[in-house]
Amino acid sequence: MIRIILISFCLCIQSCAKVDLVPSTADEVMSKIKEFKGEKAVLLNIWALWCAPCVEEFPMIVDLRDEHHDIEVVFISADFDDQIEDVRSFLDQNGVRSTSYIKKEKDESFILGIHPDWTGSLPFTVVYAKDSGNIVDSWEGKHPESRFRTAIEIALKS
Amino acid sequence: MRNILVFMLIFSMNEAAELAIGSLMPEIGHQMIETNGKNLTLSDTRGEKGTLVIFSSNTCPWVIRWEDRYVSITESYSPKGIGVIAVNSNALLFDERESLDKMARHASDKDYNFPYVQDPGSRLAKAFGATKTPHIYLFDDNDRLVYRGAIDDDARDANSVEEHFLANAIEQLIDGRPIEKPTSKAIGCSIKFP
Repeated sequence: MIRIILISFCLCIQSCAKVDLVPSTADEVMSKIKEFKGEKAVLLNIWALWCAPCVEEFPMIVDLRDEHHDIEVVFISADFDDQIEDVRSFLDQNGVRSTSYIKKEKDESFILGIHPDWTGSLPFTVVYAKDSGNIVDSWEGKHPESRFRTAIEIALKS
Repeated sequence: MRNILVFMLIFSMNEAAELAIGSLMPEIGHQMIETNGKNLTLSDTRGEKGTLVIFSSNTCPWVIRWEDRYVSITESYSPKGIGVIAVNSNALLFDERESLDKMARHASDKDYNFPYVQDPGSRLAKAFGATKTPHIYLFDDNDRLVYRGAIDDDARDANSVEEHFLANAIEQLIDGRPIEKPTSKAIGCSIKFP
C-alpha cells in the first residue's frame, strides 16, 4: 500500500511539474546556445501555438531529441505573452521538460538577433555544429524529417 | 562531397530571395481575383504617388492583430495618391479557410476599404519573394520598390507602437524624401504555397 502511494506521489510530481518557460531575448538564447559548443550540436526551433505547421512538426522534433542524446533542442515560442500558460501546457503535453523560451522583445531585434536572413516566417529552424558551433543549415517553414536528419548528421560531425 | 552538401544547405535558405529595394514591381499584369469575382491586376491598383501591396490572410493571428492598421493607413493615404491592395497568396488553402467566399466575408467584417484579391498559384508571392503574412511592399510612382517589411513594431496594440515603419515610409515617399528605413522585419504566418 505504501509503495502504491509512493509511486502515485512520484507520478503526480512528474506530471504536475511545470515546464521551465523563460521569457528571453534573442541575445540571451544565443548565449545559451554558445555554451554547448564542443559538447553538443544544437537544433533551434522557433514556433508558435497559432502556427499550424509549427504545431504539426513539433512532435517529430521532440522525437529526434529523444533519439540523439548529443543534440540539444532549444525551442523558442513566438507567441504573445498573454498565452504563456497555453504555451506551457503545449510543451508539457509534448514531453518538453527541459528549459524552454518565449520571446520577450520586439520582433525586429529578435529576428535579427537569431539570424539576419530570417524573414520572420514561422516555423524557423537553425542547426549548429557540435564542434565548431557554426550554422550547418537553417530554413523557414515546415520541412520533411529527412532535412532535419541530414542537418543533424552533418552537425554531429563538424 | 560533404563540403558541397554543407554549401548547398547553407545557401538553400536564400532560394526565394525577397525583392530588393529599387526593383521594379514584378507581375504587374498578373490577373488576380477580387472578392466580387472580377479580375484585378497590380497595374489596376497603382496610385498616383505609389502603390502598397499587402500579403495577407483571413486567419493568420498576426494579420488579425495588425489589420486594423490596413484600414487606417488606407484612410490616411489613399486620398493622397497611394493605391492599396491586399493579396491572399495562400493557394494551398483556397478550397478551405482562405476561399474567396471567406475572403469576402472577412473583408466585410473588417471594413476593408481596399481590394482584397486571390493570387492564383501564389504567383505574385513567388515573384516578390514574400514568405509570410502580413508582408508589406511599397512602390513609388515609377513602380520601384522603396520599402519592404512590417507595418510597425507592435502587432498587438496600435497604441503601443514606437516605430511606424510603413506610415513613415509613405510620408517620406509622398514628400519626395529618401526613405530612412527601407526595410524592417516582423514575425508572421508562412504563406501556404500550392
